[in-house]
Amino acid sequence: MSTVLEQIELQIAKLSNKGVKKNTGNIRTIADGVAKIDGLSDVMYNEMVQFPGGAIGIALNLEEDEVGCVILGDIANLKEGDEVTTTGRLLSVPVGKGLLGRTVDALGNPVDGKGPVEAKEFYPVERIAPGVVVRKSVSQALFTGIMAIDSMIPIGRGQRELIIGDRGTGKTTITIDTIINQARINKVGLASGDPKFRPVYSIYVAVGQKNSNIARTVSALEAAGALEFTTIVAAPAADNPANLYIAPYSGAAMGEWYMENDMDALIVYDDLSKHAVAYRQISLILKRPSGREAYPGDVFYLHSRLLERAARLEGKGSLTALPIIETLAGDVSAYISTNVISITDGQIFLETDLFNQGIRPAISVGLSVSRVGSAAQIKATKQVGGKLKGELAQFRELAAFAQFGSDLDAKTKAQLDRGNRIVELFKQPAFSPLPIELQVAVLFAMQKGFFEAVDIKKVVDASVSLKSFFTTRKDPLLAEIRTKAALDKDLEAKLQAACEEWKSSYSA
Amino acid sequence: MATHAKIAEQLARQLFKLSVVDGSVSAAQVAGVLEYVDKHRPANPVMVLRAYHRLVSAEVARGEAVVEHAGAVSDAMLSAIAATMTRQYGRRVVATARPSAALLAGLRVRVGDDVYESSIAGQLAALAAAV
Repeated sequence: MSTVLEQIELQIAKLSNKGVKKNTGNIRTIADGVAKIDGLSDVMYNEMVQFPGGAIGIALNLEEDEVGCVILGDIANLKEGDEVTTTGRLLSVPVGKGLLGRTVDALGNPVDGKGPVEAKEFYPVERIAPGVVVRKSVSQALFTGIMAIDSMIPIGRGQRELIIGDRGTGKTTITIDTIINQARINKVGLASGDPKFRPVYSIYVAVGQKNSNIARTVSALEAAGALEFTTIVAAPAADNPANLYIAPYSGAAMGEWYMENDMDALIVYDDLSKHAVAYRQISLILKRPSGREAYPGDVFYLHSRLLERAARLEGKGSLTALPIIETLAGDVSAYISTNVISITDGQIFLETDLFNQGIRPAISVGLSVSRVGSAAQIKATKQVGGKLKGELAQFRELAAFAQFGSDLDAKTKAQLDRGNRIVELFKQPAFSPLPIELQVAVLFAMQKGFFEAVDIKKVVDASVSLKSFFTTRKDPLLAEIRTKAALDKDLEAKLQAACEEWKSSYSA
Repeated sequence: MATHAKIAEQLARQLFKLSVVDGSVSAAQVAGVLEYVDKHRPANPVMVLRAYHRLVSAEVARGEAVVEHAGAVSDAMLSAIAATMTRQYGRRVVATARPSAALLAGLRVRVGDDVYESSIAGQLAALAAAV
């Protein structure tokens, strides 16, 4: 027995005599969440450093005799001369399904008062994006539930689609609708027991937003039953700029976990304009040379390395990114806007004028595009809405010309009339995404001219009536469209009959 | 202001290079540098001398192993530490003892930026950080 005890004592003695090597430095200056540190001669680029009081920092500037660090966390108790230690680790955040339904900060710490996050794995915040070989082309649809987008600017799993527009034009609403729609599809798919069904998990990264807005988003997702499939990464406006800078990368790490583990995820960066501003602030305090609009030279790399992490991987899952950019007075040619436009696979442009005219979502068809195109659409949508984008773009041009004169030929009048009806049909209230099968039914009715007899002002009412007719009385038909995902002759005949039945009841 | 600081930093770095002989700071060279600065005052002498002081003190710290200890430390142990550090860093390192009751027990050796922690206080701090 005594031998056993001796062994344990020897082990304890070994442990307690073990020396630990640390590399240290001292704070020389500290301002606005950025510290200049003397020493830290062994520190690596992007390495986590430990400040007194539990705050951590990231080494961003490695200079000849000083290190520039951004500090994440509370800086109130830090002062000149405090000792800083290297950790030998890169910044990592918790990942996994334990984060679903939770609101966390940029470091993955819970901020929703629901207790600690259950996460067994950690992923580094900064990671090299997947290379060319492991990528697969985007060919699987990700339905937003917004008819104008799903039919004209389709988004696929693994795509990066920018949402751009002035303030108050409904950018965030589109992304929330998309998250709600994923949750709705997940519930239907998981309930069906289909082994091939792949749910989409969502991550919403709020950068530089008001806390009240983040709370509103959380409650909207909760009310729609979408929070259980969503993680919210909150870096509000009052946070340290370093937290705002790191939050999108933390969210991307959380999304990558799904992608690496053969699952699909959607990530929303709301918004990257504020992210660029936070990075500019950090860079200027670090005394990095400034360029256009005082942004540092690597502001393109800031966003390209983030958005390149969204991909569809061969034999694995996908990460779809919806970055948001806020424009000023509709100027899409500003510095950050053009950068992100060139990185992404398309953009959805929202116009203030359309929004004020009551056309919501206020999507500008002419300026919006999805570079993945119809590859990310199901056949049924292509069959009923293939030519809609062109028709609507033509209508906008014609409508602009029609303002100058009243003498229009019959063909032009018909085109304008049809355009007006399509515009009315695409109006959709916030937080009410439409299932794709219902979209197909409505677009089929439009294509077959069932709305032509309806007064333009009543098209919205008529479409509401049609949707209600299909959901309450033609559920098996909707289920058939959903499972077949294409319109064959039999299905077309059934849809035709259903629309005629609705028309007779609606007219009556 | 930023430009002044940069110029002062550059000058301090040049003066520092003059102060190092055979990989270590030479007292005679430092005295010469100080005399030169006194005679030919640069634009911001305080700024230059502060930067110079920082560079010299960092270099001096790299050649000195400060051994903080809570218990007794023999001369033989100090010599052994100095020899180990000289081998480790490939330059002459001198060990100096500094008693520190705050360590509770054990040693802490500091050479430049590197700290070798083998004290009870260090282990308690690590434990507190891990909890």
